[in-house]
Amino acid sequence: MAGGTIWKGFIRFGDTNLPVKLHTAIREERIQFHLLHKRDHVKLRQQMICAYEKKPVPTEAQARGFEVEEGKYIIVDPEELDQTAPESTRVIEVHEFVRTEQIDPLFLDRAYYLEPDSHLKGYNALVGALEEMDAAGICTWAMRKRGYLGALQTDGRILRLNTLRYTDEVISAKSLDLEKMSLSEKELKVGSDLIDQLTAPFEPQKFENEHQKKLQDLIEKKARGEKIAVLRPRRLKPTAPDKLLQALEASLKKVA
Amino acid sequence: MSRKVVEIAGRRLSLSNLEKDLYPSYGFTKAHILEYYRRIAPFILPHLRDRALTLKRYPEGVEKDFFFEKRCPSHRPEWAKTAEVIPDEGEQMTVCLVNDLETLMWVENLASLELHVPLARTGSPETPDSMVFDLDPGDQANILDCARVALILRDLLSRLRLASCLKTSGKKGLHVYVPLNRKETTFEDTKKFSRAVAKIMQNNYPDLVTVKMAKEYRKAKVFINWSQNDSSKTMVCVYSLRAREKPVVSFPLAWRELENLAGKGDPEKLQVMHSEAVRRAKKQGDLFREVLVKKQRLPHL
Amino acid sequence: MAVQGIWSGTISFSLVAIPVQLVKAVEPGRVSFRMLHSKDYSPLRRRMFCPEEDRVVPPDEIIRGYEIGPDKYLVITDEELESVSSARSRTIEILEFIDMKEVDSIYYDHPYYLVPSKGGEKAYQLLLEVMRRTHKAGLAKFVLGEREYLVAVKSTEGALALITLHYSEEILPAGDITPKREKIDAEDKVRIRKDIKKMMADFNPGKYADERRKKIVALLKRKVKEKAPVEAPEAEEEEGEGPADLVAALKESMGKVKKSR
Repeated sequence: MAGGTIWKGFIRFGDTNLPVKLHTAIREERIQFHLLHKRDHVKLRQQMICAYEKKPVPTEAQARGFEVEEGKYIIVDPEELDQTAPESTRVIEVHEFVRTEQIDPLFLDRAYYLEPDSHLKGYNALVGALEEMDAAGICTWAMRKRGYLGALQTDGRILRLNTLRYTDEVISAKSLDLEKMSLSEKELKVGSDLIDQLTAPFEPQKFENEHQKKLQDLIEKKARGEKIAVLRPRRLKPTAPDKLLQALEASLKKVA
Repeated sequence: MSRKVVEIAGRRLSLSNLEKDLYPSYGFTKAHILEYYRRIAPFILPHLRDRALTLKRYPEGVEKDFFFEKRCPSHRPEWAKTAEVIPDEGEQMTVCLVNDLETLMWVENLASLELHVPLARTGSPETPDSMVFDLDPGDQANILDCARVALILRDLLSRLRLASCLKTSGKKGLHVYVPLNRKETTFEDTKKFSRAVAKIMQNNYPDLVTVKMAKEYRKAKVFINWSQNDSSKTMVCVYSLRAREKPVVSFPLAWRELENLAGKGDPEKLQVMHSEAVRRAKKQGDLFREVLVKKQRLPHL
Repeated sequence: MAVQGIWSGTISFSLVAIPVQLVKAVEPGRVSFRMLHSKDYSPLRRRMFCPEEDRVVPPDEIIRGYEIGPDKYLVITDEELESVSSARSRTIEILEFIDMKEVDSIYYDHPYYLVPSKGGEKAYQLLLEVMRRTHKAGLAKFVLGEREYLVAVKSTEGALALITLHYSEEILPAGDITPKREKIDAEDKVRIRKDIKKMMADFNPGKYADERRKKIVALLKRKVKEKAPVEAPEAEEEEGEGPADLVAALKESMGKVKKSR
C-alpha cells in the first residue's frame, strides 16, 4: 500500500490543471541503535554544548549565526528565515518536458506517487500522453516551507513525482580530475566480452536486505547470551596493471 | 524483570516492569499508568488518532531523565500503525499513530508518560484542525494569572465569533484551542492570526501579558506562545498524564468552571489528578470534542 | 583537487580487483548556519551528553546499544557489527551487469563517486570505458556504516558513479491509489500531447535555482551591509502587527471586551 497523503496540489501547464494528492513511495526500515555510556549503559543524549562554558544550551538560548569571517557572525532570527520560505501556492508548475532518458540519475532525489483528486479523465490523458511520448515534465513547487524542483513521470497507470537536486548540489565528475590511462583494444575487447557474459536482466526482487536479517539474528543470539564469533573483514589484493589482461582472460574462461 | 503477556483485541502484548514506581514521591507504578490510560482511552484516542506521536519517555520515572522520540521505535509490534512524514528540516521518517487501545498500551509500556501530538493529522500536515494559544506563566506568576488571560482571550475571540475550548496544561499553564476543522486554513493563517491576537493582548494588558519568549520579559507575566501554531511543533494531548511529582492530567475545563475557580484564589484547585480525570470524563463526556468537529473560519485574513 | 574519501576498499568483478575510494557526489546546497549561544555568541557543538553525570562524554566512552525492552539495552560492538557482513565491508563485489535503461528511476537513492587508489588507475579506466561503450552498469552489495546497500556502479562523464538503490521491499506498491484506465478523454490527450510537444526541451536543470537559498543569501548580504558582524546583542526589531483588517477588528473587539469587564 502506498503511504498516506502528505500534500495536495495541482499540476499546471498550458490549459491543463489537475488536482492531485502526493503519497510517499519509499519506506526505509532499519534497525535503530542508541548511543550509551560505556560504564553504566545510560542512554546518551545529543546536546548543543557551548564551546566556552562546556554546558548544554537549551533551545531558547540558541541563536543562528552566519559566519562571515572567523568568529564573526551575522545573527539571523527565525522570523527572518521564515520570510524566505516560498509561499505555498499548491501549484506544481510544469516548465518544460524532456525525454525521460535525458534525466541524469545523479539528480534524482526522492520519489512520490501522485493520486488523482477528481478529474480522472484528464489525469489518465496526461498519463497516456507522457507514456506515448516517453516524456517527463520538469516542474517546481513549494511544499513544507521549501521550494522543490522535480520530474513528473508515469509509472504504468499512475503519475510519479521525483524531486531533483539543484545543479549546484551535484558535484561534477570533471572536478575529480581523474587521470586518463591508455588501454589496448585487446584489453577493451576482452573486458567487453567478460561484461557481456556477466550481464543479466535487472531483477531487484532478487536482492533482499539480508543484512537487516543477519543483524536481527545477531541481536537475538546475543540476547540469549550466545557468544558471537568475530570475523575479520577481507580486503582483496588489487590486480596489478601489467596483469590486467591476464586477469580478464582468466575471468572470461571461468564464466564462458 | 517481571513480564506479563496480555491480549487486547486479539493482539498479544508483553508488558514489563509493571511494579516499577514511576512517580516515586506519590507512589504510582507502571501498572497504575497503564490502568489510567486504559480507562481514559475512549476519551483520549479520538484526539491522538492519525497524528504523529512524539513519545516522551521516562524509563526511570519522573524524577529521572526523559527523552523525546519522534521516530516510531523499530522494535514495535507489527500491528502498530505508522505513517511516513517529512519534517521541515530533515529526512522522511516513520512515526507512530496511536489509533487503538493496543497501541496506546504498547507506548505506555515504553514509559511514554506524556503524549505529544501536532495540531495537524499526518494526512494533511499543513492544515491544523485548531489554533492554539499556549499560556505559560513566568516567574512570580501562576495559573490564576493564566486564567485571567484565558478569560479575556475567550471574550476577545467570541467578539470575532470564534468559540474556544480550554484545558489545563497539567503543569503551570493553560491551553486555549480554537476549533477550525477546515481544509482551507493553513498554519500560515493560524500563525498570522494568533500573533495578531497575542500582540493586541500584550498592548492592552502590558502588565499581565507578554509575547516575548526570553525569561527576563516573562517575570510576573503570562507568556502567550502563539508560535506553537506550526507544523513542526507539538502540544501535549488532552487527557495525557504529565511528568510532575503527582500524576496530574492535561484536562479540559468548561469556561464557567474556570470563572468559578479563578475567583477562589487556589491555584491547586485547577489541577486535575488521574482518578478525578477518569471520573469526570465518564460523567461529563469529552469537553474537548468541539476541537475535533466544530468548523470555524478565521475572519479578516 | 584533493578528494576526501568516505570509505576505501576494493571494487571487484570476476577475478579483477581495483583499489578505490568512495567520495561524495552531492553536497546539500543549504546555506549553513552556525548555532550560537545567544548570551555571548560562543559557538555551540553537537556532543553526546550523559544526563546522569551531567557532562559531555568523550567518543571512547560511547558504545552502541539496541533497545530490547523499555529500559534495557543490548550492547553491540563495532567488530560484531562488521562481522555481520565482513566480506562486504571492504569490497564492492559486482555480482552482475545490467542494462542501465532497465532500472526504474524509483530505485535511485543516493549517489557517490568512486576514484581509483594508487595502482588501480588502469583497471578503473578499463571498467569505466567498457561500461561507457556498452551502456551497462554493475550491480553490487556493499556495507557502509550500519547498513548494507544494493548499488549500481556506472560510468558518468569520465568517472565511476556509485548509486545506492532502494531494496524492492522499500518501494511501496501503488495499487490502492492507481486509477482505472478505462476513463480517458481522447480529445484531452491530443491537446496535452500538443502542449507537451510545444514545451519539449533538453534536460538542463541548471536553469532552476533554489529560490529560497537566493533569498537567504540576499538577506545575509543586506544584513552584512546594515550591521557590522560583531558580538553585540541584536536589538529587537518591532515588526508589523498583522493584516490591517484583522488588526482593526481586534482593536474594536478589544475595546468592547475591556468595557464589558
